[in-house]
Amino acid sequence: MTDILGRTEQPSSSGSGPSQTKGAHVLLNTMPDDPGWYKRAVFYEVLVRAFADSNGDGTGDIAGLIDKLDYLAWLGVDCLWIPPFYDSPLRDGGYDIRDYRKVLPEFGTVQDFANLIQAAHERGIRIITDLVMNHTSDSHFWFQESRSNPDGPYGDYYVWADDDSGYPDARVIFVDTEPSNWTFDPVRKQYFWHRFFSHQPDLNFDCPAVGDAMIDVMRFWLDLGIDGFRLDAVPYLYVREGTNGENLPETHAFLKRCRKVVEDEYPGRILLAEANQWPADVVDYYGDPAVGGDECHMCFHFPLMPRIFMAARRESRFPISEILAQTPPIPSTSQWGIFLRNHDELTLEMVSDEDRDYMWNEYAGDPRMKANIGIRRRLAPLLDNDRNSQELFTAMLLSLPGSPCLYYGDEIGMGDNIWLGDRDGVRTPMQWSPDRNAGFSRSDPARLYLPAIMDPVYGFQTVNVEAQMNTTASLLHWTRRMIEIRKRHPAFALGEFFDLGGSNPTVLSYVRTFPGSESSPAGTVLCVNNLSRFPQPVELDLRGHTGQVPVELTGGTPFPPIGELPYLLTLPGHGFYWFDLTMADQNGEPGYSGEPDYNG
Amino acid sequence: MNDQSGNVQLSTTDYQDADDQRGGAGSALAALLARWLPGQRWFATKGEQLAAVTIEARTRVAELDGKSVEQVLFTVPSPSGTQRYQIWVGWTGYYPERFAHVLIGETDGQFAYDALHDADVSALVLKNIAAGVSIGSLDFLPEPGTVIDSAAAGLVISAEQSNTSIVYGHSGILKVFRRLEPGLNPDAEVHRALQAAGSAHIAPALGVIEGPVAGERTTLALLTGFFANSAEGWAMATASVRDLMAEGDLRADEVGGDFASESLRLGRAVADVHADLAAAFGTAVLVGEDFGRLISAMVSGAEAVAAHVPSIEALLPDIVAAFHRADGPGRAPASIAVQRIHGDLQLGQTLRTLTGWAIIDFEGEPSKSLAYRRAMHSPLRDIAGMMRSFDYAAHHSGGPSDSQHAYRAQEWAARNRAAFCDGYAAVAGHDPRDLGSLLAAFELDKAVYEVAYEHGHRPSWEPIPLQAVVRLINTGGK
Repeated sequence: MTDILGRTEQPSSSGSGPSQTKGAHVLLNTMPDDPGWYKRAVFYEVLVRAFADSNGDGTGDIAGLIDKLDYLAWLGVDCLWIPPFYDSPLRDGGYDIRDYRKVLPEFGTVQDFANLIQAAHERGIRIITDLVMNHTSDSHFWFQESRSNPDGPYGDYYVWADDDSGYPDARVIFVDTEPSNWTFDPVRKQYFWHRFFSHQPDLNFDCPAVGDAMIDVMRFWLDLGIDGFRLDAVPYLYVREGTNGENLPETHAFLKRCRKVVEDEYPGRILLAEANQWPADVVDYYGDPAVGGDECHMCFHFPLMPRIFMAARRESRFPISEILAQTPPIPSTSQWGIFLRNHDELTLEMVSDEDRDYMWNEYAGDPRMKANIGIRRRLAPLLDNDRNSQELFTAMLLSLPGSPCLYYGDEIGMGDNIWLGDRDGVRTPMQWSPDRNAGFSRSDPARLYLPAIMDPVYGFQTVNVEAQMNTTASLLHWTRRMIEIRKRHPAFALGEFFDLGGSNPTVLSYVRTFPGSESSPAGTVLCVNNLSRFPQPVELDLRGHTGQVPVELTGGTPFPPIGELPYLLTLPGHGFYWFDLTMADQNGEPGYSGEPDYNG
Repeated sequence: MNDQSGNVQLSTTDYQDADDQRGGAGSALAALLARWLPGQRWFATKGEQLAAVTIEARTRVAELDGKSVEQVLFTVPSPSGTQRYQIWVGWTGYYPERFAHVLIGETDGQFAYDALHDADVSALVLKNIAAGVSIGSLDFLPEPGTVIDSAAAGLVISAEQSNTSIVYGHSGILKVFRRLEPGLNPDAEVHRALQAAGSAHIAPALGVIEGPVAGERTTLALLTGFFANSAEGWAMATASVRDLMAEGDLRADEVGGDFASESLRLGRAVADVHADLAAAFGTAVLVGEDFGRLISAMVSGAEAVAAHVPSIEALLPDIVAAFHRADGPGRAPASIAVQRIHGDLQLGQTLRTLTGWAIIDFEGEPSKSLAYRRAMHSPLRDIAGMMRSFDYAAHHSGGPSDSQHAYRAQEWAARNRAAFCDGYAAVAGHDPRDLGSLLAAFELDKAVYEVAYEHGHRPSWEPIPLQAVVRLINTGGK
């Protein structure tokens, strides 16, 4: 394969990636062969900048993350999702990439990243990262070449036009900051196309070299052993006159090409799409169901998250039940990714409710558009720091269909700092201990990239890993136990979802049934969630399970067998149950799990 | 077992093969029912130790695995005339432990139980409807062109006053009418008509069981589609009130559990159903003296209640005056449109499904005659029923009976009543509040009836409708 990425052409003074990798230990993927791992994995989103600082410069780095892998393995995390760590002017949180083959210097080097992959794999943890294919930073070498040398090798790498009248049907996404999708470049004296910020020109995928270059970037990181990519902003790769420039057939064709490279050359690695759209549209990004899916392995289920919050706020299961009922089946090699919180905002205006029609309109648009109108809070403050609510939400995250993705710090109930600008309020240093800088860094506190949380409720003196490690009743230990239970029962990850409904509209109940496979045993779990603050009864129609004994999963207590009548359960406020439904009632005899009947 | 009491009347009318029948003669069955009925919540004639049961007909439906199943029609006298009932009885030669909760009794070593709770029996009933068979005088009839999943297992989900409901899998629900009135039940008729009109707010009709009662062909059971994963409007609304009351001092539009957007959609759904009913069964207008008779009926209804409910007696002159606000000189509308309506509309007759609101139970008011239930009425009667239902939901939770609680409950009710009317008006093209005095009269009529009901059944709830009566007297519903 010809390297058209400019390894040789690129000025060596730019400190490009290849020079870093020259001595790097290039690894093959060392994880065991397990093609369906992502369907069962618990993901954990970690920001390199925010997790641990190894060199005392006040900013987290890759070496710091390596130091904390033992903690993540202890927690039960299967895969880290690391947002962009590439070289970048950081005008869009690293999503504005200046060099795809270079690590942001304050985070470390490509060699550090290779070390991270090796260390993670040694602990059974996989790693995926963001790949931004739609656009680059305007400081990228390609754009600088393209604007200054229209007839050169990079002349067609971007979408140029003599006027700004093209593609009028493609809406402007960042309406707050961008008046148009076209911006005039004074160097080339032409307009360039950009769906996001004007400092992020869109790559021109109609130029064959661009697609080849992007696939070579993928190969570069896959060769280092990375386990997959979260593909950022995938609906926008191509643009066509007379369309809105989203979800075009050409875009899907390119994703199929990416998938084929992965399948043929790097089996076991995955592609995860960020397509913040209605589920019925998102499923297209899994590709052809007839062949089990031939585009992305995973897609985030965006509408589910705000509806979990809405359901609890309204004490009604319908927001969740509705969206899951509208979620179509997905191809056999596919899995949803679900989350409660991530580094972006929770678009909570949907919870204030005019109604679901309003929600529909909200989600029909692109959510990045809404980035500026969301609520920048972490899970714990969103739930008024109520322990029961946090447990209920996490229990739903770990049991609803899809692979769960935790956000760093939510496992200890970290707070946020709403006085920090943009989305930084939820990107403060991880709170490891009550020591200086929350144990995150040895630097002068004034030098930290963001101040650690210090308020009396969520501050690191109160909320930190060390303290919670030493208290088995802590949220951290609870989260770890729940992850462990989830892993013991493959039905949570692989089971078919069936919404039970039930007599009480504030209780969300569902069964996950997994018929078993070569590698995972069959099983059925029943999950019952009380979305109300108040204790609730619910009668469940469990006719399909008559004669079985529900065994509560956190304590192993057998509940009364399921009989002819609706199954009655009572739950405390914001309570939940997980039951295993695989144990059959022994001939209907009472006390089957107790002592022998000495009177018999 | 024998008839030791004069209350037990025996009859073997229409009774066949008496000697062959499990459970022996009609006298034995009548005696069992006589002892069992007074303990049943749905049994209308309260306060008797033994019911005066007359067996009218017995139809052997099946022999299943040592069990014998029969459908039984019987009558019981009551102050308001003879009441007719249907029950399905299973007989076994051993104590049926699984059905201990629905055991009727034992006679001569034979145990009788309510057979509809037996999954074997409910499965057979469904198969019979799907196959369209006739057993004795019972006709099991599938709706033309419907597909019935006859393998679905049945589960009794409710045993209400007037029927027993069996849910089949997640696809169908069979309502077996317990109290019968000779004639075809409007529920089946209305479901068919609305289905033909393509209504999105009803369950599809799938089949019926019909047979003769007192010489008339009568609907004995109705099978419709089932809204899996739905919840009753009443449960949804009371959850919203609970959320409001837990908040201390927030207003109804500020709490997370605000119900107004649901009420609005419910109003739209009811307007849709009314439009479909009008299209299917036609419309008429009430003019002049018809309208006067309508108000007179309300007045005499209130007078009847006043005769035995002191709280209404004290308010009677004001109540009558309030009714006449609707038909006084210069106030009566020139004409009122009438059509087939639901007849007993309340939150408990609505279901929130995953795709919107559905309306169920088109039987009409069970206490009224079949002719009345099938007649045309003003749609305002249904709307008044919903207005009253919102009021009940707002006040049901009890809690502190201070004025702040009452004020906030009233605020919730007003917000949701307004949202319902907004939704209704948006679809119907006219706002029910435009006929405010007539709507208030229908509401008052309903509230007076509710006071009588609570007075007799749940005296501690009497203040809920009574407060509404006072409000309607004072403000005319404004």
